Amino acid sequence: MSSVNPSSKQRVIVVGGGLAGLAAAARLVEQGLSVDLFSMVPVKRSHSVCAQGGINACNEIARQQGFSEWMHMDETLYGGDFLADQPPVYEMTHWAPKIIDLLDRMGVPFNRTGEGYRDLRLFGGSLFKRTHFAGATTGQQLMYALDEQVRRHEAEGKVVKYEFWEFLWPVIEGEGDERRCVGIVAQDLRTMQIRAFPADAVAMATGGCGLVFGKSTNSVMCTGGAASRCYQAGAWYANGEFIQVHPTAIPGADKCRLMSESARGEGGRVWVPRKKGDNRDPRQIDEKDRWYFLEEKYPKYGNLVPRDIATREIFDVCVNQGLGVKGENQVYLDLSFKPREELDRKLKGILEIYEKFAGEDPREVPMRIFPAVHYSMGGLWTTFTSEKRRPDPVMDLDSGLNEVIGLKLGAPDTMATNIPGLYALGEVNFAYHGGTRLGANALLSCIFDGLFAGVGIANYAAERADAPASDIHKSVYDGAVKREEEKVKKFIGDGASGAPDTTTNPYEIAKEMGDEMTAASTVVKTEERMLKAMDKLHELQDRISRARLSDNAMWTNQNLSFTRAVSDMLILAEAILAGGIERKESRGSHHRSDYPDRDDANFLKTTIAEFDPDSGRPKLSWREVHQGLAQPRVRSYGKIESAAAKTDTAPQVAASAAS
Amino acid sequence: MVSPASHNGSNNGSGAPARSRTVRFRIQRCEGPAKPSRWEEFDVPVEAGAGANVISCLQLIAANPVTVDGKRTTPVVWDSGCLEEVCGSCTMVINGRVRQSCSCLIDNDAPNDGDVVTLQPMSKFPVVRDLWVDRARMFDSLRKIKAWVPIDGLHDQGAGPRERPKTQQTRYVHSTCMSCGCCLEACPQYKLEEDPDDWDTAFIGAAAIGQVRLFNKHETGAELAGERLDALMGPGGVTDCGNAQNCVKVCPKEIPLTEAIADMGRAVALHGLKKFFRGK
Amino acid sequence: MASKEPFMQRHHFLLRRLHSFTGVFPIGVFLIVHLTTNASIVWGRLGVATEKSHGGVATFQHEVEFIHSLPALLLIEIFGLWLPIAFHSILGVYYATTGKSNIKHYRYQDNWRYTMQRISGYIGVLFIFYHVATLRWGWTWLPFASGFNFREASSTTAIALRGGSEEIGFGAVVIGLFYLVGVLMLVFHFANGLWTAAITWGVTITEQAQRRWGYVCAGLGFGLAGLALAALVGFVTLDIDEAREYERARIIELESAAAPDQQAGQLENALARH
Repeated sequence: MSSVNPSSKQRVIVVGGGLAGLAAAARLVEQGLSVDLFSMVPVKRSHSVCAQGGINACNEIARQQGFSEWMHMDETLYGGDFLADQPPVYEMTHWAPKIIDLLDRMGVPFNRTGEGYRDLRLFGGSLFKRTHFAGATTGQQLMYALDEQVRRHEAEGKVVKYEFWEFLWPVIEGEGDERRCVGIVAQDLRTMQIRAFPADAVAMATGGCGLVFGKSTNSVMCTGGAASRCYQAGAWYANGEFIQVHPTAIPGADKCRLMSESARGEGGRVWVPRKKGDNRDPRQIDEKDRWYFLEEKYPKYGNLVPRDIATREIFDVCVNQGLGVKGENQVYLDLSFKPREELDRKLKGILEIYEKFAGEDPREVPMRIFPAVHYSMGGLWTTFTSEKRRPDPVMDLDSGLNEVIGLKLGAPDTMATNIPGLYALGEVNFAYHGGTRLGANALLSCIFDGLFAGVGIANYAAERADAPASDIHKSVYDGAVKREEEKVKKFIGDGASGAPDTTTNPYEIAKEMGDEMTAASTVVKTEERMLKAMDKLHELQDRISRARLSDNAMWTNQNLSFTRAVSDMLILAEAILAGGIERKESRGSHHRSDYPDRDDANFLKTTIAEFDPDSGRPKLSWREVHQGLAQPRVRSYGKIESAAAKTDTAPQVAASAAS
Repeated sequence: MVSPASHNGSNNGSGAPARSRTVRFRIQRCEGPAKPSRWEEFDVPVEAGAGANVISCLQLIAANPVTVDGKRTTPVVWDSGCLEEVCGSCTMVINGRVRQSCSCLIDNDAPNDGDVVTLQPMSKFPVVRDLWVDRARMFDSLRKIKAWVPIDGLHDQGAGPRERPKTQQTRYVHSTCMSCGCCLEACPQYKLEEDPDDWDTAFIGAAAIGQVRLFNKHETGAELAGERLDALMGPGGVTDCGNAQNCVKVCPKEIPLTEAIADMGRAVALHGLKKFFRGK
Repeated sequence: MASKEPFMQRHHFLLRRLHSFTGVFPIGVFLIVHLTTNASIVWGRLGVATEKSHGGVATFQHEVEFIHSLPALLLIEIFGLWLPIAFHSILGVYYATTGKSNIKHYRYQDNWRYTMQRISGYIGVLFIFYHVATLRWGWTWLPFASGFNFREASSTTAIALRGGSEEIGFGAVVIGLFYLVGVLMLVFHFANGLWTAAITWGVTITEQAQRRWGYVCAGLGFGLAGLALAALVGFVTLDIDEAREYERARIIELESAAAPDQQAGQLENALARH
């Protein structure tokens, strides 16, 4: 690690300024590199700010009650239905307490106990209080802490930010095994200038792809466009079919906003009117005319069933039985029966969000909520180098393990994609979460990725100190720029585009894609429906290739950026769908009514989608899951099993998690 | 949302009257820096109770940019991100007042058929195009006041300083500042400065002053307290505040900005006295 | 390091804080004293110790004589008043130009006061200039102007307030209104300035403290406004002939009480000037 040092000429590009990107940038600077940080938005406005609940880590209080990093790892693997590679999860959960300490030192205003220690809250998927939080805006607080550290480096000239720049393509030099990523092509979203930026390594930290599903809980830039471009350039896309749908969100006309699980934790009850078409004011509907379907179906857990059970039940009530409130896809989440004073004391923050966006006071009327696409467990495939360790002092004795496997710090392939020099960090990669993500693990995985993999990326760059990207022939970059300029020309056309009709309107195409993907590939999937959706995607791909722009200006043309993203999202959607079709089992958030059981014999494997440039279609293959720490076991979450057996819905349940 | 609720109005209940109506958007547009601005008007169909906000209406306009005169135009350009009022992106001047466009619900602000919603870019920042302004100066202000905790490095060195819950609460609320710029837009002392060379001497505004309070209250952050106060004592610092107190009223996060200004007023006074008697 | 920064920037903090400080002390303190003194034309009238019709005139005359008995009065005036006022005014006008009121869109009470603070400052500067120039420096060539004689404090003040005339005519309306507006603007400027000074110096930090101090300042403001109005009414309704009668008697009283040397000479001169 210390034998080679990066040369002063060397630079690393980080694409994306959320938690993962900022953590990586800070780490790379500390490792002696200069960083170019690209983001479509000012990094402080990245989507990580939307996280609310907290960040998981073992801590002293939980430890004294019998919790451990090992158990955190086990919960994460169990929650993810054993699809995640295990060594990275081991390493992440064991780093978690250190990461909290570091964030604490950076000044994150974690809630405090009376004595001034960090306070903890209980979260889904665990019996121990192990979640650190800063009010109801933990993601925002962690983001700002890292943003501040990176700003400090920026002030010192070690980080150059390219904000309002869109990543267009990775620059890849060489063929076959010799190929490596040596920079990116990006476009300034204001001036529309397209430029190539050489780099000795490129770290993608571009987040999820919620917009593929139309309205989700994601921010407007979470298109998955950047991931799709890497995929099209040859990077593998793994486990794309695993998309987390959060049960309680506030439907809006522009997006869905999350309603935290704590509303149910404080006694919120989910119900719909028993009679179809009962459109009375909810306050006028008698108790006997209300169907508290979660409580009825799951007498023990009631409204606090794990996330994907709740999601599937709500979906069933609305979509299959048509009992949604006022005929729409929504159910009541009712807190209005609780004393106002108590609500304000415990839930003020989230109730105010509802009030602000739904325009109704949830202390007076029941909230109207519905599940929404929330997180992508899948993403760019990444690798790692494992390292054997002595067993943890606190470990399940039944495991019979004499050694454990973690990650080797500083290994140059840490979180590397199959293209050398191209890395993927945070939500954009597929690591850690398997089939379903536990609540409050996302923030952890993003920061861990940046901090841990940053060391490896720096070492990768250092190994190439004698052949830095700055020495690579200009033609490599010029060619890449030219290709992107051609694409722009194709979209912009000859400048006489005129009015698009509905078949070529990119906004219409995006809406149809979102509707189709949501209907076919979210809560409950079937082969038939997914195949139909695949046809639809092909139709939309054809239509987007003929898209007409209503704006041809070469200055701050959002129309162009949007259309280009939609075109790339359609390709990514195909990979997501293809994985869903081929994975003929139900696991975690991937639930198929035609294959309702988990099938470890055939599908305890990572789905790999590889883009075939000739056909433009994904080629699927499978890779074994790295195991060795926790044996796959039935994922029943204890008592729920008996309750779930009473219904005809999914016996396989996902981890409970709150956001 | 999975399988989005239909918003065509046919299924709406009799309990809550659902009315389809048309809302007129008057939008101040501008092709780019140094270009003249113009007004364009669009009629947008809105359905009561469907959660329409300014963003969803702008999305409809973008999909079909035709003005009330039937003239085909370009989609309106605007900045947006989380749409949950935590990222600060979509700030604009709506009906003369600065706020986030995501949390501006049409049912509240334009409840009747034919109501007009006026959208303008923020006036204190250079316009990039239409409603999109460049707020780089806000981030530069954070650099100016050294808005960070100077930690030794990223290696594990144990926990940070213990903190009293009261201090945490004070810091937390300041730490929710999302650099949206509302406080600056509404401030009569904060001015548009196109030239970055002038940023250092023009009034820095409430947002950054609040951040000085945030970092000076942290034990490690206080290491740079003197430098931050020096920055606030110079031209454009806290002394330039005119106490109009609009900042605290338009802040979407209800950050006690005026308290921060007073607190920093005291801090610079003491700092100035100390410096005077201690010398350089 | 030889600074290339302009003077205003180099001493930015000091100048800003001196501006704030001078507004309270000496200017604000002087305003309180001055308005109290002037109002003696009324509260003296209510007094029981002296003859009623002469009460206000007598008290006011005594107050004025006390002020004029101060040693090195001119120096006090120059350094304690005129220079601080000039400093506060010039900087104040300069600072005011750095802001741009937006009361049209942000109709908050605090914002109104922000705007009024600046307007009252502008009007206040004009008023003080006219007031001092006419009554202290004797620039009687200014419109509707007449001078002030401290031996005949009440009568000359009353005439000045009537636009240089003993009758209530057009000049009296103009100058009376000018004084009314000017004084009230200054009172507002001071009361509101006292409120903002507490924020500027970080005396009142929490919103609650600021609100409470606001009540105190408002109370002070209304009190001062009451004094100012009383004085105005008092002088405008003053019976000038009666006042002169008392003033003349007082001059003679002083003359006879004093040793018949230079002091008497001074009194003669004072009378002669009128």
